[in-house]
Amino acid sequence: MTFTSFNFLIFFPLTVLACYLTPVKKRWITLLLASYFFYISIQPVYALLTAGITISTYIFTRWMEITISEKGKKRLMVANIVIILTPLFFFKYFGAVNNGLMSWLAGTGLTWPLPEISLILPVGISFYTFMAIGYTVDVYNEEVKTEWNPGILALFISFFPLVLSGPIERSGNMLPQFRNMGRIEYTNLTSGLKMMVWGYFMKLVVADRLGLYVDVVYNNIANHNGTSLLFASLLHPIQVYGDFGGYSLIALGTAKILGFNVMANFNRPFFSVSVAEFWRRWHISLIKWLTDYIYTPLAFSMRRKGMTGIVIALLITFLLSGIWHEANWTFIIWGLMQGIFLSFEAITNRKRISVESRYRLNKKPYYILFNIVLTYILFTSSLIFGRAENVNDALLIYQKIFTAPGPLYIEKSTLIYSFIGVSILFIKDFKDEYFPGKLEFFNNRNTVIRFASYIVVIFIILLTGVLNGSQFIYFQF
Amino acid sequence: MERTEVINQLTVLFRKVFDNQALILFDEMTADDVDQWTSLSHVILIAEIEKEFKITFQMRDLNKMDNVGAMVNLIMSKL
Repeated sequence: MTFTSFNFLIFFPLTVLACYLTPVKKRWITLLLASYFFYISIQPVYALLTAGITISTYIFTRWMEITISEKGKKRLMVANIVIILTPLFFFKYFGAVNNGLMSWLAGTGLTWPLPEISLILPVGISFYTFMAIGYTVDVYNEEVKTEWNPGILALFISFFPLVLSGPIERSGNMLPQFRNMGRIEYTNLTSGLKMMVWGYFMKLVVADRLGLYVDVVYNNIANHNGTSLLFASLLHPIQVYGDFGGYSLIALGTAKILGFNVMANFNRPFFSVSVAEFWRRWHISLIKWLTDYIYTPLAFSMRRKGMTGIVIALLITFLLSGIWHEANWTFIIWGLMQGIFLSFEAITNRKRISVESRYRLNKKPYYILFNIVLTYILFTSSLIFGRAENVNDALLIYQKIFTAPGPLYIEKSTLIYSFIGVSILFIKDFKDEYFPGKLEFFNNRNTVIRFASYIVVIFIILLTGVLNGSQFIYFQF
Repeated sequence: MERTEVINQLTVLFRKVFDNQALILFDEMTADDVDQWTSLSHVILIAEIEKEFKITFQMRDLNKMDNVGAMVNLIMSKL
């Protein structure tokens, strides 16, 4: 069961109804059962993993609480992190390590005794593992109190709106909300539904429609010219934004209806004027997690090296981010490119600010537009590696873009529907970015305009959306 | 060292790190109030504070610095 499946349309209203009928103090039980049912409906066996991670995290954090010595606490924190990371490493990287070793040994004339094993990655494992690690570190740092109720902790780790692809929430935000649940409010219901409708629009109308074009071109690189490859590459970031941004909004809306405030995962990333700003607006929950638990400890340990320490910390953080996406050279290069872009910006930051303030460039529309386009191009150039099957394919795409122009491959209906969807999305984002609070549709005070806009968007989804129950891109991570 | 003295020295550091000579610190001031106070520049600021006040922070201390006031209190506790 996923957010775009028919079963979810039955499951979710029933869950809301069950929560409504359950006394507030016992509602965590209903939500926990619903969350496990949701996860089990996708992959029954892997729910044991979620439960195992919860049990380990519960035992080690409670143990940390009663341990007095600092060294003992640290050992317990590290022990739990190692234990809960083991399944993620096994499922995600065993195949890559095994294949790498096999081919290396084959090259030296040796044979590898183990057969090749192909494992299906348990959906959401990265996301709930990261949430459990975050909780463990926060308890160690005394930023959150240890949760004594194993059911509440289990709910935090398996909460169905977030379990598949985040947002990677923090215990400091979620645990107090789970401990003190309120009534199911009408205002939460309406604002949650609005988020969900817009999320479905982004996913079904924008992402899945663009995906039809991008997939056709990228799945047949050899037969497409540079112009079509460039065009598909430029559309791909919007496809990912529609897909993952849409998923995140549906997750936020689902949680909101149940009465929970979850952190936003995207904030109009394509209006960023630098790569640093882009990463404060794109997959926000992952970047915050990486900043708090990887970048900051690394940069802090190298703080006396000045800018060199920051650059090393940035490169390592984004290299790890790349490896997290996939144990593949394409994502390693993708991660390193982000690290290099960010390092360059960090090194030149002072100079840039001084030039910008001297000529008051930050207020000039042409300068803002130039930086927005440049940031988009830089991200697109890295995402070519993220989307290509392997490094050779990515390099071939680059080569063709620069050396093999030709007529653009056109799929008329796909491109027309895509154009409509992308235009609506960007007009809304543009309005929210530069004219917040003006020309509201979903939040208009006039009931007629408000309801008319719901109907129009739902109509567009039904009319132009790709309603084939496709998966979300980030499920693979 | 008096609190005012700490704030004065800290002001000099803030102005240097964030390249803004007009910065005036107040206890409730957070990263949201200062342009360029990001996770990147925060580490540089911490290193400068350690050098200036001849103190050493622990990783855990970073989480206690919710605002400038908390930062001043933490510095004073280490002097």
